Amino acid sequence: MTRSGSLERALLTALILTIAVIAAFPIVWMVLSSLKTPQESMQVPPVWLPRTPNFSAFSEVSDVIGAGRSMMNSAIIATVATAGILITSLMAGYAFAKYRFRGRSILFALLVGTMFLPPIVTLIPLYRLISEIGFNGSLVGVILPNLANAFGIFLMRQFIAGVPDDLLDAARVDGASEIRIVFSVVAPAVAPAIAALTLFAFVYQWNTYLWPLTVLQGNTDNYPIVLSLGRLLSYNRGAMNTGLVMAGATLAVLPPLFLFVFLQKFFVDSIVSSGVKG
Amino acid sequence: MRAARTFNLSIMLGPATALIGVFILVPMVLTVWLSFHEWSSQTPFSSARFVGLRNYQDLFGPISVGRDFRRAFFNTAIYTCVSVLALLPLSVMLGLLVHQKRAAGGQMLRTVLFATYMVPMIAVALVWSKLYSPSEGPINQILGWFGLGPQPWLSSPSTALYALVILNVWQQVGYFTVLAIAGLTQIPKTLHEAARIDGANPVQSFFGVTLPLLRRTLLFSAVIAVINAVQVFEPVALITQGGPAGSTNVLTYHIRRVGIERAQGGMGSAMAVMLMLSLIVAIFAIFAMNRKAEEQ
Repeated sequence: MTRSGSLERALLTALILTIAVIAAFPIVWMVLSSLKTPQESMQVPPVWLPRTPNFSAFSEVSDVIGAGRSMMNSAIIATVATAGILITSLMAGYAFAKYRFRGRSILFALLVGTMFLPPIVTLIPLYRLISEIGFNGSLVGVILPNLANAFGIFLMRQFIAGVPDDLLDAARVDGASEIRIVFSVVAPAVAPAIAALTLFAFVYQWNTYLWPLTVLQGNTDNYPIVLSLGRLLSYNRGAMNTGLVMAGATLAVLPPLFLFVFLQKFFVDSIVSSGVKG
Repeated sequence: MRAARTFNLSIMLGPATALIGVFILVPMVLTVWLSFHEWSSQTPFSSARFVGLRNYQDLFGPISVGRDFRRAFFNTAIYTCVSVLALLPLSVMLGLLVHQKRAAGGQMLRTVLFATYMVPMIAVALVWSKLYSPSEGPINQILGWFGLGPQPWLSSPSTALYALVILNVWQQVGYFTVLAIAGLTQIPKTLHEAARIDGANPVQSFFGVTLPLLRRTLLFSAVIAVINAVQVFEPVALITQGGPAGSTNVLTYHIRRVGIERAQGGMGSAMAVMLMLSLIVAIFAIFAMNRKAEEQ
């Protein structure tokens, strides 16, 4: 190894570390701020490290916005929607990958094309549609339109296409029904894609803001944590509540990040293999 | 046998098709239909009154409805362009850093960058609003260390929209970096070796080999980045409320305010149709630019 080579490596490492620190800074700042006392939050110039970690903001935030209940609502919304997306995507992906039928490519384009449609475009009629069937203000109203998803169908078709037909035929010879084949033969064969879609769907549904805000109509009992965070901002305005807001934000961030740590590998692999064939 | 096949097919496709049909495709058609009507979103669809092109005339007309809409449209266009122009080069640069094998830390960087993409936008908005805080925020403090004066960030009409762009780029860059890495891994190593043997330095090799072969990845990234950027909502709804002086009033926020909060469903739908059409035009323009680059 030459000297210029090791210098180059040191510089590269320094650059990578610097960028990682910059990228992580807002999240680290959020957690640190949630542990500061109100006085520390108001200091000019800002203090970076709380003298002693102060967890009172976390208990206070639970009282102010009912954080526990909001987290529960978020968990229900994200879990049910994710389960729905997994089931509908597996079944539709299987049909598009393994069945030949008339109009297949048109139907596929129509369904998957909705991936590129910003939700705001359909928000107004959808809001009315949900209130006409009487689900305004309810968790059902939040979840119902999100039980199927274009990206999920697309991803599953990509992966199921690679499952060998012999495997399916063997199961058919054994007398398995098509539904059974989907869930007990195909699903295990595409487990990494299922892991990726679980993470994608759960994080998306946990984080989504525009639709619940519109459909829940101020019914705060059913608010997911992201909406309750918004309420926190108008509570006791001013720097006094910085710690509170940061504690609430920390709570909201934990579940998606936690899931990400576990499923990261599948998620990155799925992005790499699903979309961009250069 | 045939009947059984048809039965299986409808079982498999039924749930997804029905859900996407009823909750996305039907509302899409309704949006277009409503845009030609005067309709309060608090009343049934049947009470919509046909007004022809009047909503569209208002949007392009000299009245305040049109002025507000055009301002929101313009703001969204700036926000989208600057976001895309920042995200694409950044994602390629970071992708190269993660992809290179000479120094350690690449995988760690990828994890950190991608973790930011998992954070709810609402939390991102809250945290950054504190980071940007003129006196208690660390950003101006850090600028001070380098001898730079404090910036107004979200509190000045000339900087607020760009402050939101920075926040957007911070949140999304990890996703586009992963796309860039995916593109980079598909470039055969032999091409770079061939370029090196021909006497190309790393910079020439990047512009001669890497960038042309990344074109399809960048095309996909650009389309996704545009679609994501027009959806900006949380930081505006929560922190700036479209201000100061209308400088961060963006389309998603504006459409929701008109169509849901003010219940002007017809007018809001006309705005949504304009957004959709502009998006289609923008995506076509990206493809056209790509074709031009390919011809050269």
